[in-house]
Amino acid sequence: MSTIQAALSGILLGGLYALMAAGLSVTWGVLRVINLAHFGLMLVGAYLTFELASAWHINPLWTLVVTVPAMFVLGGALQLAFDALRISELNSLLLTFGLLIIIVQSVSNIWSADFQRMTAAVNPYATESVRLGRFVFPVPTLFAFAVAILIIGCAHLVLRRTFAGRALRAYAEDRAVAGAFGVDHRRVGVLLAATSGGSAAVAGMLFSLGSSLTPATAYEWFGTVFAVVILGGVGHLLGTLSAGLLVGLLSGVVSVVLSPATAPFVLFSLIVLALLLRPRGLFAARTAR
Amino acid sequence: MTRRGLIGIPLAVALLAALSLYRETIGFPLFYLGLLTTMLFWVTQATSWNILSGYSGYFSFGQAAYVGVGAYTTAVLFGRHGVNFYLTILVAAALCAVLGLAMGALAFRLRALRGEIFALLTLAVPFILAALARINPAIDGGQGIIVSIPEYPEGIGLFQDYLYLATLLVAGAAVFAAYAIRQSRFGWALSAIHDAEDVAEGLGVATFRYKLQALVASAVIGGVGGSIFALQIGFVAVDSVFQLTVPLFVIVMSVLGGRTHWIGPVIGVVFVVLVQDRLTASGLGRWQLIALGAILAALVVVAPDGIYARLKARPLLAAAVAVPITAVVWLVAQPLDGMLAGLLAATAIALWPARRRPPPSVDRGVVDTDRSPIRVDKSSSDGEEAVVECRGVTKYFGGVRALEGVDFTIREGEIVGLVGPNGSGKTTLVSLLAGSLRPTRGTIRIAGQDLAHLPAHRVAHAGVARTYQIPRPFASMTVRDNVAMAVMFGRSPLPLAAARREAQRPLDVVGLGALADAYPSALNLHQRQLLEMARALAADPKVLLLDEALAGLNPAEIDNAVQVVRRVHASGVSIVIVEHLLRVVKALATRIVVLDQGSCLADGDPTEVLADPAVVRAYLGRRAHARDS
Repeated sequence: MSTIQAALSGILLGGLYALMAAGLSVTWGVLRVINLAHFGLMLVGAYLTFELASAWHINPLWTLVVTVPAMFVLGGALQLAFDALRISELNSLLLTFGLLIIIVQSVSNIWSADFQRMTAAVNPYATESVRLGRFVFPVPTLFAFAVAILIIGCAHLVLRRTFAGRALRAYAEDRAVAGAFGVDHRRVGVLLAATSGGSAAVAGMLFSLGSSLTPATAYEWFGTVFAVVILGGVGHLLGTLSAGLLVGLLSGVVSVVLSPATAPFVLFSLIVLALLLRPRGLFAARTAR
Repeated sequence: MTRRGLIGIPLAVALLAALSLYRETIGFPLFYLGLLTTMLFWVTQATSWNILSGYSGYFSFGQAAYVGVGAYTTAVLFGRHGVNFYLTILVAAALCAVLGLAMGALAFRLRALRGEIFALLTLAVPFILAALARINPAIDGGQGIIVSIPEYPEGIGLFQDYLYLATLLVAGAAVFAAYAIRQSRFGWALSAIHDAEDVAEGLGVATFRYKLQALVASAVIGGVGGSIFALQIGFVAVDSVFQLTVPLFVIVMSVLGGRTHWIGPVIGVVFVVLVQDRLTASGLGRWQLIALGAILAALVVVAPDGIYARLKARPLLAAAVAVPITAVVWLVAQPLDGMLAGLLAATAIALWPARRRPPPSVDRGVVDTDRSPIRVDKSSSDGEEAVVECRGVTKYFGGVRALEGVDFTIREGEIVGLVGPNGSGKTTLVSLLAGSLRPTRGTIRIAGQDLAHLPAHRVAHAGVARTYQIPRPFASMTVRDNVAMAVMFGRSPLPLAAARREAQRPLDVVGLGALADAYPSALNLHQRQLLEMARALAADPKVLLLDEALAGLNPAEIDNAVQVVRRVHASGVSIVIVEHLLRVVKALATRIVVLDQGSCLADGDPTEVLADPAVVRAYLGRRAHARDS
């Protein structure tokens, strides 16, 4: 029974992984920028929520009014810079690695390297849980799951159904041709990167609801989030969502069946296998070549 | 190539060793010895990283894996079980070699492996190893291992001296290995992989083996460095060795100094460690990482090639500025401040944007049209031995049928024109003949040798060379070295100097002799296509596959290229030419093969084939056929 509970909790947690990975995946797939600074944006988003809620006693959810626009602007500004500097895919990895280091160390300088957590007084959701039959789910996880599904679902619909979405997909397929047909790659790209930044703020807020924060968290996300991005297939939102849930399920079950310390080992070994066997993602259709 | 490193590296090691051996005589402070030890540790690690990632372009984020395995091996065996310290270094090297082999054998087997995927794969490895060490408390007792001081010869002095000398020895060996690799065939192969991997494979470079060797060399050096590092830190735990800061540091250092040269990482290390030390000394320790991150980000934008490449362009000016600044700051403040100031000044000079000189004009005197055409006796080709023989060759891409049951023979001395509408499978056939694709069914034999299980570089050795539709020169090498690569790794491999001499002949055949010392970026499209041909020719092929080698040329250039193909043919090479310009095909080919929708539509004498109604229909459409007839 506890295994089923762990599997369900894992899936719920997987929603948050998926949301964290979604922004990274789309900017990588469409804009050819591997934006490690995305982890920095999530970290700053989480700390801003913590700071605003703790200092001013705002409901953590309302901090999004500040953090989402801030990260939106930051994400867009970064993309403007990448675009102006004509950064190649590999160089983007190096450049944003540098940026991430700067962000993490700055966060550490401002908020110290200690673990911090919103107190129960400002974070009404931390200790609540919902009981469904014999299963118990903490509210932050449930909440994160619902928001993640909502955001990824909306983003998927926007990419599929709207003109801007079509323009983006055309751009991802072939930049030169899309440009020739009038897709203003700069504007679309900046908008996409900015939206991805906004999603980082939401992911950061959701993370801070249920967990303690330390600057090194950004590096701890690395493994899991990249696993989700690659397993889901770079640039595929629904794939990312499924991969997030799968990874959450796996680490939940392994933690209970074996031990929590084993989870990363099993997870990363699976990632390596998946990278080797399906480098285009688990759910990629078998295309030519 | 200069041989400076051959003397310079041992000399530098001897000088640095003297600092410790005669430390008390010259009054060298112990504090500096510690700083130098740190630098030398990073020299080993950055050099280890550079051998794979700098030379071949496969970026690794997994440096911490080697440091961790090395440090853990020594800590567990020497620290816990009292095994001889020097023996543990050998065990560490062996374990890292196995790790490198395993990683490479898995990763480099992937045909579609891209650099980013390799980077992420290597990122996962230290995580896995760290998790493994955490799951099994039996390895380090759960808390970590204290590493005591091993026995060392009496005359060395303090433990710090011993540690320094050991680290120095390893770092010296690492740099020397990097130097030796750079100068050798191995280094040239890695450069070619860096510039254009599949082109290199097609020229006969055994890319898989070289990448694997580079990865193993990198792992062994990193592991030995990690083994000594266990002594340096004295206490080994998961968090102190499997850190993400290890790859960060080695990447910053190597990118900063320059990735393509063996001394680049050394420069980067001196720079980074000095910056760090000075920041800590001025109480700005918490800005260390911010400064490093900023340096990395700025360099990727300003000078992705690193400082060394820029410094080489104006060494005297940099020295002239750096030396007085170092001297002045040394006198008023501390020696280390002086060095850092000098280094910063030299860097500023190096990075100062150069005035853009117009690229050397190379257009004139290249296209020589005055050579009389070489007559090819078309009838002589009949009945000669078959060089290439395809039987029932079929190729599917997923569900897409690119070729179906193609029979195709090239006899010695022929020029076969391979024509057909777009999408008819011409380039697929060329790729199959060159060994870069494998047929789904059917056999391909080159000079009697079956290609079925040969990797592409062995196909090259069997006597097939190709050019690419879009020219793909090795950008980091001169025109002469581009051609010399093909000689070095061709059917009868030659050492570099001989290969460079040998490269002159193919360059003269295509008429690029005057441009031998230019870099490919200075060539126009026509010249690049000629370079492709020269490179293919230098591999001494039996069959040359020209894949639309004339696309995008103007009429005068086409005439010149036709002359070049004739000269190549006259030197005894059979040629397959894929071309849309029927005028060219008619002028050159002794036989024409027409592909349509993946099947062979016609095969025979050029005039007859081009008059065949089915061919005209496939090529020009029904209406043209109707009008003609």
